[in-house]
Amino acid sequence: MAMSPSQVPVTVLTGYLGAGKTTLLNRILSEQHGKKYAVIVNEFGELGVDNDLVVNADEEVFEMNNGCICCTVRGDLIRIIEGLMKRKDKFDGILVETTGLADPGPVAQTFFTDDDVKARTRLDAIITVVDAKHFLGQLEQGDEAQEQVAFADVILLNKTDLVSADELKKVEGRIKAINPYARIHKTEKSKIELEAILDKGAFDLKRILEFEPDFLEHGHDHDHEEEVKSLSLTADRPVDPDKFQKWMGALLQIKGPDIFRSKGILAIDGAPRRYVYQGVHMMMDADWGQPWKDGETRSSKLVFIGRNLDGENLKRGFQDCLK
Amino acid sequence: MKLDLANPAWRAALPPSRSVAADAPASACAFSRDGATVAFALGDGRVRLLPADINAAETPAGEPVHRGAVLAMTADPTGDGFVSGGDDGRLLRLGSDGTMSELAHQKGKWIEHIAIHRASGAIAAVAGKNALVVKDGQTSEFGPHQSTVADLDFSKDGSRVACAHYGGVTVWSVGNVTLPPRRFAWAGSHVALKWSTDGKFIATGTQENDIHVWRIAQSTDMRMQGYPAKVRSLSWSADARWLFTSSQPVFTAWSFAGKGPEGKPPVQFGEEGASLITVVAAHPTAEFVAGGYESGELQLGDIKTRRSVVLKLADGSAITCLTWSTDGFRLAAGNDRGDLLVVDLRR
Repeated sequence: MAMSPSQVPVTVLTGYLGAGKTTLLNRILSEQHGKKYAVIVNEFGELGVDNDLVVNADEEVFEMNNGCICCTVRGDLIRIIEGLMKRKDKFDGILVETTGLADPGPVAQTFFTDDDVKARTRLDAIITVVDAKHFLGQLEQGDEAQEQVAFADVILLNKTDLVSADELKKVEGRIKAINPYARIHKTEKSKIELEAILDKGAFDLKRILEFEPDFLEHGHDHDHEEEVKSLSLTADRPVDPDKFQKWMGALLQIKGPDIFRSKGILAIDGAPRRYVYQGVHMMMDADWGQPWKDGETRSSKLVFIGRNLDGENLKRGFQDCLK
Repeated sequence: MKLDLANPAWRAALPPSRSVAADAPASACAFSRDGATVAFALGDGRVRLLPADINAAETPAGEPVHRGAVLAMTADPTGDGFVSGGDDGRLLRLGSDGTMSELAHQKGKWIEHIAIHRASGAIAAVAGKNALVVKDGQTSEFGPHQSTVADLDFSKDGSRVACAHYGGVTVWSVGNVTLPPRRFAWAGSHVALKWSTDGKFIATGTQENDIHVWRIAQSTDMRMQGYPAKVRSLSWSADARWLFTSSQPVFTAWSFAGKGPEGKPPVQFGEEGASLITVVAAHPTAEFVAGGYESGELQLGDIKTRRSVVLKLADGSAITCLTWSTDGFRLAAGNDRGDLLVVDLRR
C-alpha cells in the first residue's frame, strides 16, 4: 500500500464481546487529544458518546464475483469510506470496530482489493483487545478468539486487574504462542496512550524493516499445541525471484484461507535493495525496501501466522527458492 | 435554437459559465422543476442555491440543512424546490419559498440515494437495507434487502422501483396494484443502477468493474466487461437507444437499438482525457451527452456526429456531479473541492 499524505489511516479494532472495545472507543471519542477520528461501529447506541463522527454499520461481507471464493470484502466499509470522504471536515483517522465474533480477514482484504478505498485510505494496523480474565475460556469456545489474536499487530491485554500475576503470565504465553509478532500492551479498563496504538504503519511496506518474535523467556506454555500459530523461515543464501514468486503464488492459492498474515524481507539475488512484502490470506503487497549496506549480511526472513501450518513443507519449499 | 457542435464558436472559446467556490465537496446537483434554480448538495450540510441564469445576481449561501454531509439531492417532483438526504438520516423537502419539511428520519442510517418520478410526484430514497417511497403524502417502506441498498430508480411509468444490492436487483411494485417483488440475480455487489428511459432494461455497475443489464420482459441478462474502475455513473439517452457509462477516458455508449449490444463493442468517441470519466449525463431530449473527468475536465459529445467539445479545462479536482436543465441548454457540475459550475450552452 503506497502512502500518500491524503490517505487517511484506518485502524481495525477486534476482540471478543466484552473485552473492552467500546470502553476504548469511548476514550478515543471523549478524551482531549486534538485529533479527529471517525468511528464505524456495529452496535449503535452502545457508545456513550453522541457524536456525528460515529457511523453505524452492519457488517456486510461480500464475496467478490471473480471466481476467488476466499476473496471477501466488507461492502459496508467501501460505502462508508466513500461517504465519509464527501464531508467537508476531514479526519485524522478512521476506526473500524468489528463484532466480537467477526473474522478480521474481510476488513483487511478490503484495503488490498478496492481501488477507491485504496486511493483514499490506508490500513494502519489491526488492534485486538483481549480480556485477560476470559481469554482462555474463549479459546475453547471457537476459532474467533484465536484468529483475532493471529491477525493482530497490536494487542491490548485488558482487564489485567481482574487476574493474578500467574494467570496473566499464562494468558500472555498463549497469546505469544499464537502470535509472537504483535506488540502487547497490558491495560486496565482499556487505558492506553493513543500514540501507542494509532498510526503504527503496520501495513506500510516502508516500515517493515525488521520484525522479531517476542517469545517469553520463561513460562512458555507447552501444554497446548496451538492450532493457530506462527512460523518463521530464514535463509542466508540469496533468493531466486522467479522460483520464489512461483512457490509463494502456489502456496497462497492453496493455503491462502489458512494463512492469516504473512510478511517477508528478502535478499533477492543480485538486487541492491531489500524486497519486502506482506499479505492477508491470498492478497499480497510487495515493493523494494531499504538498500543493503556494504558488508551487511544479506539474510532473508519470512513469517506466516495461520492454521495447520506445515513447518517442514514450508521450510523445504523456501529452501528450493534459494540460489 | 439548437445545440450544434460543428459551430466553430465551441472551439474558439469556452462557453459562458458561472463558477462559485463553496469550499465543501459537492455530492449532487439538480435544476428545479421550473428550471429557474440550480441546487448543489455539499459536504458541510448545506444545499447551495444559484439562479440557473448565469447573469442573474448570485444568491447568498444559506445555513446547513443537514448535520454532517448532504449525500443525495434531486429536484422536488411536486414543486419548484428540492429533496435532500444526508448523514443525519433525514430526508428533507426544501421548498422554493424557503420552508423545510422532514419526509423521513431514520436515525443512524445515511440517506445516500434519492430517485424521483416527475409525472407522479413520487420520491424514493435509500435508508439502509430498505427503500422508502413517498407518494401523495404517504411513506411506504420496501425491504429489507440482502444488504444495504446501493442505488435505486423508478420505472418509466413510476409503478415500480428497482433496488440494487448484493446479489442483484429487486423490483418492487409501488403503485396501486401490489405485486410480489421480482428479483434479478447476479452474484456480487451492485453499486449503481439506472432504469432505461423506455422502461425495458435495468443496468447496474458492479464491484468487479463490470456492467450488468437485464431485459425485464424476457428476464435475460448481459454483462459488459473491460472497465478499469467501477462504473458508478450510468445514463440512458432520452430515446433509450444508448447507455452511456463512466470509467473510460472517452465517451462510451452501448447501443440498445435493434438487437441490442450483445456481441458488439461499444461506441467510443471524443477527445481522450488524461483521466477517466467520473460522471456522465445524457441530454434530456437529444442525442448529446456530457461527461465530467477525474481531472476536472468537462466535455460535451454528440453521439450522432461523434463530435465532442471541451466545456471546462482540467484543474485537478474530480467532477463529482453533473446534470442538465430540463430544457437542455444548461449544465450544472460540481467537484470534490467545492467549485460549483453552471454552463450556458446557448450559442
